[in-house]
Amino acid sequence: MKKLILYAVVGGIAFVIGYFVNDQFFSDRAPVQPINFSHKIHAGDNQIPCQYCHIYAERSRVSGVPNVKRCMGCHQIIKTDSPEIQKVASYWDKKEPIPWVKVYNLPDHVYFPHKRHVRAGVDCKNCHGDVASMARIEKVSSLQMGWCLSCHTKREVKNGHDCWTCHK
Amino acid sequence: MSGLLERIAGKLRSYREPGYYTKLDHKWTMVIDLDKCNGCEACVVACYAENNLPVVGREECEKSRAFSWLRIERYVEGEYPDVKVKFIPVMCQHCMKAPCETGCPVYATYHNQDGLNVQVYNRCVGTFTCATYCTYDVRRFNWFTYKWPKPLEAQLNPDVSVREMGVMEKCTFCIQRIRSAKDTAKDESRPVKDGDIKPACSQSCPTGAIYFGDIQDPESVVAKLAKSPRRYRLLEELNADPSVIYLKRVMGDGTSSHE
Amino acid sequence: MKRRDFLKFIGIGGVGAGAGFVLGKVSKPPGAKLIPYLIPPEDIIPGVATWYASVCTLCGAGCGTLVRVMEGRAKKVEGNPGHPINRGGLCALGQSSVQALYNPDRITKPLKRKGPRGSGEYAEITWDEALKTLAANLIELKSKNESEKFHLLTSPLGGTIDRLAGEFVSAFGSSNYSHYGLFQRKNLAFANLSTMGTASIPHYDIENTKYLLSFGADFSSTWVSPVNYSNGYGKMRQGTGERGKLVQVEPRLSLTGANADEWVPAKPGTEALLALAIANTIVEKGLARDASAWRGVLSRYKAKDMASICDVPVERIEAMAVEFARTRPSLAIAGDSVSSYENGISGAIAVNILNQVAGNIGVIGGVMPNGDDLGNGKKIDFGRKISTLISAANADKIKTLIVYGANPVFTTPKAARLEEALSKVPFIASFSSFMDETTAHADIILPAHTSLEDWGDDFPDPGVAAPVASIIQPVVSPVFETKSLGDIFIELARAVGGNVAGKITAPNFAEYLKASWKGLYSRNREMAAGTLGFEDFWNKALQRGGWWGPSRKMTATVSARAGEHLTGAPARFEGEEAQYPFYLIPYAQTAYMDGRGANLPWLQELPDPMTSVVWGTWVEINPKTAASLGLKEGDMVNIESPFGKISAPVYLYPGIRPDTVAVPIGQGHSHYGRYAKGRGANPIEILPYKEDPLSGEAALNSTRVRITRGATGERLVKMEGSTKEFGRGIVQTVSPSEFKRMKKEVV
Repeated sequence: MKKLILYAVVGGIAFVIGYFVNDQFFSDRAPVQPINFSHKIHAGDNQIPCQYCHIYAERSRVSGVPNVKRCMGCHQIIKTDSPEIQKVASYWDKKEPIPWVKVYNLPDHVYFPHKRHVRAGVDCKNCHGDVASMARIEKVSSLQMGWCLSCHTKREVKNGHDCWTCHK
Repeated sequence: MSGLLERIAGKLRSYREPGYYTKLDHKWTMVIDLDKCNGCEACVVACYAENNLPVVGREECEKSRAFSWLRIERYVEGEYPDVKVKFIPVMCQHCMKAPCETGCPVYATYHNQDGLNVQVYNRCVGTFTCATYCTYDVRRFNWFTYKWPKPLEAQLNPDVSVREMGVMEKCTFCIQRIRSAKDTAKDESRPVKDGDIKPACSQSCPTGAIYFGDIQDPESVVAKLAKSPRRYRLLEELNADPSVIYLKRVMGDGTSSHE
Repeated sequence: MKRRDFLKFIGIGGVGAGAGFVLGKVSKPPGAKLIPYLIPPEDIIPGVATWYASVCTLCGAGCGTLVRVMEGRAKKVEGNPGHPINRGGLCALGQSSVQALYNPDRITKPLKRKGPRGSGEYAEITWDEALKTLAANLIELKSKNESEKFHLLTSPLGGTIDRLAGEFVSAFGSSNYSHYGLFQRKNLAFANLSTMGTASIPHYDIENTKYLLSFGADFSSTWVSPVNYSNGYGKMRQGTGERGKLVQVEPRLSLTGANADEWVPAKPGTEALLALAIANTIVEKGLARDASAWRGVLSRYKAKDMASICDVPVERIEAMAVEFARTRPSLAIAGDSVSSYENGISGAIAVNILNQVAGNIGVIGGVMPNGDDLGNGKKIDFGRKISTLISAANADKIKTLIVYGANPVFTTPKAARLEEALSKVPFIASFSSFMDETTAHADIILPAHTSLEDWGDDFPDPGVAAPVASIIQPVVSPVFETKSLGDIFIELARAVGGNVAGKITAPNFAEYLKASWKGLYSRNREMAAGTLGFEDFWNKALQRGGWWGPSRKMTATVSARAGEHLTGAPARFEGEEAQYPFYLIPYAQTAYMDGRGANLPWLQELPDPMTSVVWGTWVEINPKTAASLGLKEGDMVNIESPFGKISAPVYLYPGIRPDTVAVPIGQGHSHYGRYAKGRGANPIEILPYKEDPLSGEAALNSTRVRITRGATGERLVKMEGSTKEFGRGIVQTVSPSEFKRMKKEVV
């Protein structure tokens, strides 16, 4: 009997360890995208401003993924021979949107307006890291509540600690 | 040990600065003119639509588990033919000395800087304490995780969480509308104006009986109406200091009220 | 530790860690996708709501709406603050229209009948097949020279869609296009036609009146234009001027009656006589302003004679007469407790006479005729009744019937034997989006859009003594494979071919509607003022929700010939008093109206304002009566008329005459989706088949019933605990005189 409890305890501890190992080290922080899109080339080498493509960031709670028309706006002319661009073009020809994989995913109960943060002068880098150097986009922030609050505290956001500022 | 306690107390104090409850950014107040209210319940449906309130069905209704954050109470006096009927819309009164807030063991309900009594769904562990402490019976409990049969879920308001099983909820004075009005005001670099915010019930009211605004602004409609000689608050003697002000209904004592 | 145990621990540890790892992997949200727009819509910013102006079509009032749309989904329907009919408010039914749009029980595709008629068994077909089948049937009819045997039955449509439907029927060679609705207020319209010359309902200026005498008009919940009247009511009570008074005459205290300062529970069927007695008293006391035409007629209705018939003391009649004549302005409105009897026209005329005698016609705060309806209002054809349809069907004069919006199987009494008549119609098509009782009889169903997906327009009747034209625009793309009602007619016309296709040439209904408005614009100088051509006007109208002009004051000449329709006797009720001791009052309830709201879950769960009952039917009985019958609340009883019986639980209601029982209309559906089906009882079933020979309106208050125990069925579910305050001062009041003093103090 005593032994059984011991087994259960050992098994339980191992279970929790396994869970966290998975969570901390095996989470896909930089998932493979349907198109091998490089922020490094766009935002880094070519210095395209973020909001040229993420057009809603200053106007809405969502920043917006660039629509396929916007991609094709440049790539009808630029680098049309690249196989990755040809993939984009094939989506455009099929009249299908590109199924990007979400990297920064907030739970449904969070009210996070990009607009308020952009207009308050928070640099995109603050949360999204040095995107200009990323060949494949990678999640650099935990997006956990403590992380949000640490910034709200630092910047002395008015009512920045009130639950209903961010929860909905 | 005592050092740790001191640290916790210090942390708590930093959230509870002196004047936290007296110097509010706003003090949102609702004024309901009972002489205008005709009890049509348009507000009740508006609340369901705005706040993703689930429909629980006949069996659950029978157990008094209907979700209406806002209800129309009806009182009938007298016997035929001298019957008097009175209506009163009752929702969370956003008491400034709210009994529910003192009860919650996990601080899931508290008063914020807008003078609102708010409920944080993520903190709530469903002890039901607040609902038992509430004077006005306005808190509603999620006994289940309710489902919306497809495609009804397309209607759900994305500004409001869909609550899950085990969580207490109640009228928020349409806090999402307050937030959105503040957001617009900030974009236009101005303070929130009187009339910017209309909770769903107030917006829908066919007779225009529900007024909403910041009572700290002396020019606001609610501040003026709050001075009406018809003013009273619900069960005021209990001293919960509610933020909903009612204006008394004008009503004759008998049928022969004509001069 | 033994080596064996050590290995066991290692094993268990490994399995545990592995399981934890796997659980961690599985419980992670699956890679959420970010789906961009292919081409971004111009007027949409994701995450920011767009508001579209439209019109609510759940009842005939025509309230302007603003619909909140996010990412292509309708989130909320609100009243349009700029619209002159509802000025921002919207009733419970109207706000639920979004649940009609996203109703899980909508008909999602065209259907063809599989099982026997009325069984509701259908097979899905394509639109192409559906249109071809219906067109083939119509072509066959035409080739046999039986065009006249085609009937179209719709709800009371108005505006452009009504014109298109009419064009379709007449181009096909038929004259059988009729409107049907339970609450068409045809008696009221007929009374107005014979007294004031227009078959419409005038604008009742409740806002500005100081004494409102309502004969059972439940304008707070369902009567004619509830939001407009409620808005007026709010302003009448606590507006800028003196507080107006409301007196309600009705046997059962309605929601409006509950707000009245005085309730006059006259004997059912005698309310019109009470109106005439009041009018006569005004004349006799020399307070009349315009009585020349009526002096002779009225002298037959002496207050002292009427008092006992009406069960209202003579002093009270006199007091009401004096107050009604002296208070300026005053207004009497003819609601269900005069117009829903078998002599409803007479009752409505009596109220018109009362208004004229007191000088209330054509004055602010009185009856204001609407005048010009821009030529598009809802035309009431008194000759086209449901009985015409039933007798035509029985005489094999209907070969093909198309139904849209109307649900006569639910809203006509069993005694009318409508279902039997329908069984004689060889081919029935329905354009309904819901499987209602009438649609369940259809051979083929071509589901039309709900109003949130469709184009349309509305010219509200009654208006607000000002020209109003509102536009219905699609606010979301169709949820299912349904089609615009107008497009169904247009495509059907094309498929039928011949002169039908020749007459209806528009490519689609949106174009047809725009062309119709272009015509309206070119005819109306007020519309054209201040716009840069039609396109500019059209875009502005779409943004605003329509166009409305300045209010105009119209007067009406009252014709004394209306007096010939006065019956001068109490309304008759079927059933002998000895056998059937109670008057039955079936009434339109806030949420369900004529039954159309019963499939919307919000409305099923909305407590009835007067009884707090949800999800069912109940019968209201005076507590004294119940005690004499040995009944208590919640007891199941049979309500039996000479024409049938239904059963419902008892609700003890002190606001009803002891000789009367009342049952709400709206439940008791045999179809109509999961929320409505098999719930409660339908009181219309047990009514006699009584239709006014002149107007065609059904007489709802027309039978007596008896109440017997021994029924089984659904329990009473009510949300209230007690209706008493127990001295807690929850709803506090001030008396009118105290209020007057208060007002002075403030000034």
